[in-house]
Amino acid sequence: MIALDFPEINSILRWKDIFPGFNKIALIAVLAVVISTLIFLLAVRQDHKEAPRGIRNFAETIVEFIENGVVMQTMGKDGLAWTPFLLTMFMFIYLCNVPGIIPFFQMPATARMAVPLFLALMVWVIYNVTGIKHQGVGGYFKSTLFPPGVPKALYILVTPIEFISAIIVRPFSLAVRLFANMMAGHILLVTFALLSEALFQAKDKVLIPVGILPFFMLIFLTSFEVLVAFLQAYIFAMLTAVYIGGATHPEH
Amino acid sequence: MPTAIVTQSNGHVVQIRLVPSESTEDTVVESAEEGTPMAAASSGEATTEVKTAPNPIAPETKELAWAAGSFLVLFVILRYFLFPKLKKGMDARYADIRSDIEGADQVKLSAQSDVAEYEKALAAARAEASARIDAARQTVDNERTAQLAQVNARIAAARAEADQQTSAARAAAQGEVAAAVAQVASKAAELASGRTPDAATVQAAVAAAMQSAGSR
Amino acid sequence: MEAIARLVAAEITPAELKNNAAAASAGYAYGLAAIGPGIGIGYLVGKSVEAMARQPEAAGMVRTTMFLGIAFTEALALIGFVVFILLKFA
Repeated sequence: MIALDFPEINSILRWKDIFPGFNKIALIAVLAVVISTLIFLLAVRQDHKEAPRGIRNFAETIVEFIENGVVMQTMGKDGLAWTPFLLTMFMFIYLCNVPGIIPFFQMPATARMAVPLFLALMVWVIYNVTGIKHQGVGGYFKSTLFPPGVPKALYILVTPIEFISAIIVRPFSLAVRLFANMMAGHILLVTFALLSEALFQAKDKVLIPVGILPFFMLIFLTSFEVLVAFLQAYIFAMLTAVYIGGATHPEH
Repeated sequence: MPTAIVTQSNGHVVQIRLVPSESTEDTVVESAEEGTPMAAASSGEATTEVKTAPNPIAPETKELAWAAGSFLVLFVILRYFLFPKLKKGMDARYADIRSDIEGADQVKLSAQSDVAEYEKALAAARAEASARIDAARQTVDNERTAQLAQVNARIAAARAEADQQTSAARAAAQGEVAAAVAQVASKAAELASGRTPDAATVQAAVAAAMQSAGSR
Repeated sequence: MEAIARLVAAEITPAELKNNAAAASAGYAYGLAAIGPGIGIGYLVGKSVEAMARQPEAAGMVRTTMFLGIAFTEALALIGFVVFILLKFA
């Protein structure tokens, strides 16, 4: 029998302080800010008159992706004012996700509850405030809690469900979706990396070639994480847009 | 923030120490590699439960603070400085491109009208040329017809003259033959009957005989 | 590592019993939580592919809606995963 010593869970999720109060998660968050600022700074410094090349092309592609793929699909033309916010959100989440597969980082910042929790709470505050601003306190809660087109008697059932789903479950699921996706990916990568390492270093020489199997799985999962990192950032930005759009334009 | 370090053996709690958070790293038992575990981290309250580790999904205050701070900084940078600049550049370029396209459309339209004009002129010239060619052809045709008619008339006149000459010659010959026959016939009748026949009667008989011979 | 070592020890204290039960039920929690979303996502993507094949010009809109639907359905499985982590490690 061989057994794999899986490390204690906190040892793959919690990180020592690099200097007091500043650990790897904070480093990744700060790097995300620095990198996105650099991308857009270099893009802005290029001459905007000629056809965009290189970094400017890249930055404009991201902006147009947010405009056409997120804002126009969910909020329509009125939502274009939210583009910088959603752009920030997308860049920040993506650059926090992607260190999960970058060597020497090997940790998505969003796999710690703090980052998604902050983002989800912020989105919660923003869509509630936006809804109240656009429809007034009464109008917002009326359109949220008492959806039109429902028979009067059913409101006893519908209103609590709507309250729970719109006020409680939304931020919770928003945070948990991002966090759990990234943590699951991280734990899977750790598992297969440890398994192939253990098999490659096994005392029993027969087991060494078997180590190729988890190694291939590791490669596959790494490329899958590339997709997940993008997809989760996209979905987070998209759901934010959907919630804000729903708060500004209630269903009639 | 104090941290609880619970030492245990076989599930029984042996010792609980409360230490300040900064000194936690020093007391960590695990070896310190890159990114190594904080075996005991800040958990707030001291629990006498079996587990020493804090909840892996509980958010940490410092991470929350750093994430919030960096997100807000990025948002401010993008919202108020970089994004408007980039967007302005994009919009300006798009406006440029749009006006270029409009200009190109206008040029195209004028070129199209030029082409139409040219084609109209070409058609007019062509029509004129063909009219001229038609007229020339008409003239040539007329001349030819006239010449043909002239030649035909000349031929007809020559033929008519020839016919006339022929018929005159024939009439003369016929007259001579009739006179000769009448003479011969009156001579023969004189010889036979002894008296001179009436010249008019002989001539009529000869003409009738010739007529019947001619018609046979 | 200490926890695993303790699991194989012969003596079982109530705390260990609770840990063992938590570890076992953590597996059930995630396994059961994955069934529904698995079926749901399969159905959702299948229907989306059908819609895209029927109307390729609407593929962009269908894809957007599909990702939203996947996100909502997947959340259930992910909550199961979080429950797994909570039971196992908390």
